[in-house]
Amino acid sequence: MKRIILSLLLAAVMVFSLAACGTEKAETNTSDAADPADMSWDEILEASKGTDVKFYGWGGDENRNNWLNGTVADYLKENYDINFEYVGMDINDILAKLTSEKEAGEDTGSIDMIWINGENFYSAKENGLLYGPFTDKLPNTEAYIDQNDPETLNDFCKPIDGYESPYAKAQLVMYNDSAVTPETPKSAAELLEYAKANPGKVTYPALPDFTGSAFVRNIIYETCGWEQFQDMEADKDKVKEAIQPALDYLKELNPYLWNEGKTFPADSTALDKMFQDGEVVMNMSYGPFTVASGIADGTLKDTCQTFVFDKGNIGNTNYMAIAYDAPNKPGAMVAINAIISADLQLTQYAELKELPVVAQDKLSDEEKAEFDKVDLGKGVLTQAELLSHRLPEMPADLVPVIEEIWTEEVVGK
Amino acid sequence: MKNKTALRLILVITVIIILLPVCVMLLWTVTGRWPWPSLLPESYTGRTVAELFTGSSKIYEVLASSIILAALVAVLGTAIALMTARATEVYRIKGAKLISFAALLPLMVPGTVFAMGIQVYLIRIGLGDTLAGVVIVHLVAALPYCITIMMDMTAAVGDSLEEQAQVLGANPARAFWSVGIPRLLPGILSSISMAYIISYSQYFTTLLAGGGKIKTLALVMVPYIQSGDRALSSVYAVTFVGSALMVFAIFEAIIHRLIRGSE
Amino acid sequence: MKRKQVVPLMLIIPFALVTLLVLAAIFNIIIQSMGYMPVFGLYDFTPGYYVEVLKRSEVLSSLAVSLKIAFVSSVVSAVLGTLICAALVRTGKDKGIMLYTVRLPILVPHTVVAVFTVALMAQTGIFARIAYALGIIGDYTEFPNVLYGSGYFGAILAYIWKEAPFIAFFSLALMASVSHTLGEAAENLGASSLKSFFHITLPLSMPAVMRSFIIVFIYAFGGYELPMLLGATLPKAFPVYTYIEFMKPDFKLRPYAMAMNGITLILSLAMALIYAFMMHRLMRRLGGGYEE
Repeated sequence: MKRIILSLLLAAVMVFSLAACGTEKAETNTSDAADPADMSWDEILEASKGTDVKFYGWGGDENRNNWLNGTVADYLKENYDINFEYVGMDINDILAKLTSEKEAGEDTGSIDMIWINGENFYSAKENGLLYGPFTDKLPNTEAYIDQNDPETLNDFCKPIDGYESPYAKAQLVMYNDSAVTPETPKSAAELLEYAKANPGKVTYPALPDFTGSAFVRNIIYETCGWEQFQDMEADKDKVKEAIQPALDYLKELNPYLWNEGKTFPADSTALDKMFQDGEVVMNMSYGPFTVASGIADGTLKDTCQTFVFDKGNIGNTNYMAIAYDAPNKPGAMVAINAIISADLQLTQYAELKELPVVAQDKLSDEEKAEFDKVDLGKGVLTQAELLSHRLPEMPADLVPVIEEIWTEEVVGK
Repeated sequence: MKNKTALRLILVITVIIILLPVCVMLLWTVTGRWPWPSLLPESYTGRTVAELFTGSSKIYEVLASSIILAALVAVLGTAIALMTARATEVYRIKGAKLISFAALLPLMVPGTVFAMGIQVYLIRIGLGDTLAGVVIVHLVAALPYCITIMMDMTAAVGDSLEEQAQVLGANPARAFWSVGIPRLLPGILSSISMAYIISYSQYFTTLLAGGGKIKTLALVMVPYIQSGDRALSSVYAVTFVGSALMVFAIFEAIIHRLIRGSE
Repeated sequence: MKRKQVVPLMLIIPFALVTLLVLAAIFNIIIQSMGYMPVFGLYDFTPGYYVEVLKRSEVLSSLAVSLKIAFVSSVVSAVLGTLICAALVRTGKDKGIMLYTVRLPILVPHTVVAVFTVALMAQTGIFARIAYALGIIGDYTEFPNVLYGSGYFGAILAYIWKEAPFIAFFSLALMASVSHTLGEAAENLGASSLKSFFHITLPLSMPAVMRSFIIVFIYAFGGYELPMLLGATLPKAFPVYTYIEFMKPDFKLRPYAMAMNGITLILSLAMALIYAFMMHRLMRRLGGGYEE
């Protein structure tokens, strides 16, 4: 009998200890789940006072984490009495989490804001994982964002419809070490010559890596022009026909690449390490000021230089969206509104070296002067040079098609 | 004995092979640049250590919550495994083979996919974004190891000594506590440390089930590793490995003291 | 009599609950792999996704790659792991500092292992630098490229670094306890230490070695980090292929990824069954063993 009691007791302890953890369900100060769509901006501000806002996004950049949890959090606390917190989570994981919540029929999750763009935005919006439209409600949308900029209206050529607000601008750049190779290829043709001159020491990340994929799209723009892709259907045969010149070029490039183009670095971080170690002579990044931060933290030599193709490089914008089941939608809107203000965009430009999303002609002279004062650091192109060499992204659904074609037609060919 | 020299040699080689990458990792924690063909870093930096202690990740809080969580999972996992092992090996219930097979199931599907499937049910029973939910998904990941260890150990130790103690008048609980547990102790300790390691290393499952509310060292570390910053990843990896080994040292010291005290 | 039946049932309740959750999650994977995902507006119920996945030309070659990685790395790890375990037990160093050293690789995350495999083995890695410093090679391109090849040598090596100590640690408790009791008893009765090891300690420790072997095998078959970071672009290891499929933002493609997970599950189950069958026969040959 005693054994029965003992084992019952054990089982009970186990269940209770779990249940006890369960009751601790973290209580957050969220404003009532009222839909802010029916509220005025003043009501939204009022509702968000004293609440918590959680922003989820990629957590691999310690400077950005510190900026968000420091500068931005302080600003929101001081001006709006909001407790802001940034949680590092990859976009794929965020969408996986939202999917599970949607599947379980949850209507109050834990994610308020999401750092998102491109295909992920398109897919999340199509599948009802985002809240919106909300950008019209934000006073700073009108005050600071260029309403006619194609990147305000479309994200990878897909309509935004007010479901996300710009966050920062990115642009693909290439860079190398002028002490190793002084020349900077200005076109696809020059890049081929460059690879021939440095056999085995040039490569790009294997698709579907984000940067590698952007580089291949850039080569496509170089060899096939960019206009025809803006409204192209995601039909594999059609896309393949259109990008044939680029495929031919990439195959011609292969023999001069690292490992003769039989294998490519798994992702952009693998290529970064190879460049830092001197295994390859050229690198690329979607952060236009990467070289400056690399020199600043000592991972890159101060002889590194950034360059773009004469015909231009692909640029896109990162956005902030609100989860469909965000526990604190008003708070998220206030936080997003603050992040697109000139104040915070300036700190983002100064501390993180990110291209701001505020329209230059909407800034006051004082604000403009503050932006001009920012020291970008060494080895980078100016904001004006970048923006004058900026090409729009392709439609989001072409991207995976191109990645598939590249895997079949280019690797090891 | 002759063959012991050979065995010692094996251990020395093992230690060298294990420690070689670890030494490189230690060096990388303060490395700025280390390009070809230098044998030692070309420049050193303190930015990583500074980031660890002064960055926005609140390292002490994160360490404390990771350790508590992993310890909880280790104890619960080992207790469940011990109970299961007694059912199959001492009471010899039918289907012991099936249980040892079912215990391996969670290893057969990528943790990511598993976590997503489990998450749906956790939300439905109201455990989404709770500590309990995180403990459950960690238990799922740790139990295959705990159960395997405890079943083998319980079978090897057998229950004859406990039965003798009972024949001599000890009640079953007392017999288990003073005769069974000490003999199972090596297994219990390895089960606890395996479960601890598994829980401590969980990334995606913690994110999904904890929704970012339950903070662990792995949650902070993994994005830095993924971002390819070798110096910063090394600092976090050293913290991760070092803190776990320290917990083991403290834990094992306490256990041994307890054993000695009770003898 | 009644107590003998109730107590064990009570004891397995917690495990049964966890297993229930696991089975529910597996059920979820299976229906999703058949195309039933109401949350994305998919209401199919068809084996079609499996058929289509298996028809893809890359799938068979990537399954072959993964089987090879899993087989080579787990067999080598099992042999080395047993050797390390035996060395620890026989030299009496199964406690203290050695125990911490052996647990070290188990603790280092796979992604970090990949980073340091590259730091050591790459063409510009430490070994290549030593060769260069000694004048053996004139440039790093002359150093053999062991990583990133379609032979997946780098991934296998990294798995062995992590898994051989795992097998040693996993088997240690059992082997030490067998050796300290039965092994020493045999020696007291006059058996040589080698004989007692090979005839008593090793056979009786085999369950732990074999179980950790199958754990390592299944893990190496299903893990994507090491083959992704240390392997070739083509052919991809199956888990890498699955991972990429899973990461596609278009949710309508999710059943394909789930079907690939289903394939992994079925193959892992099959291999675990084969293993169980072989274990059964092995135990019988070893003279009944205590398994029965």
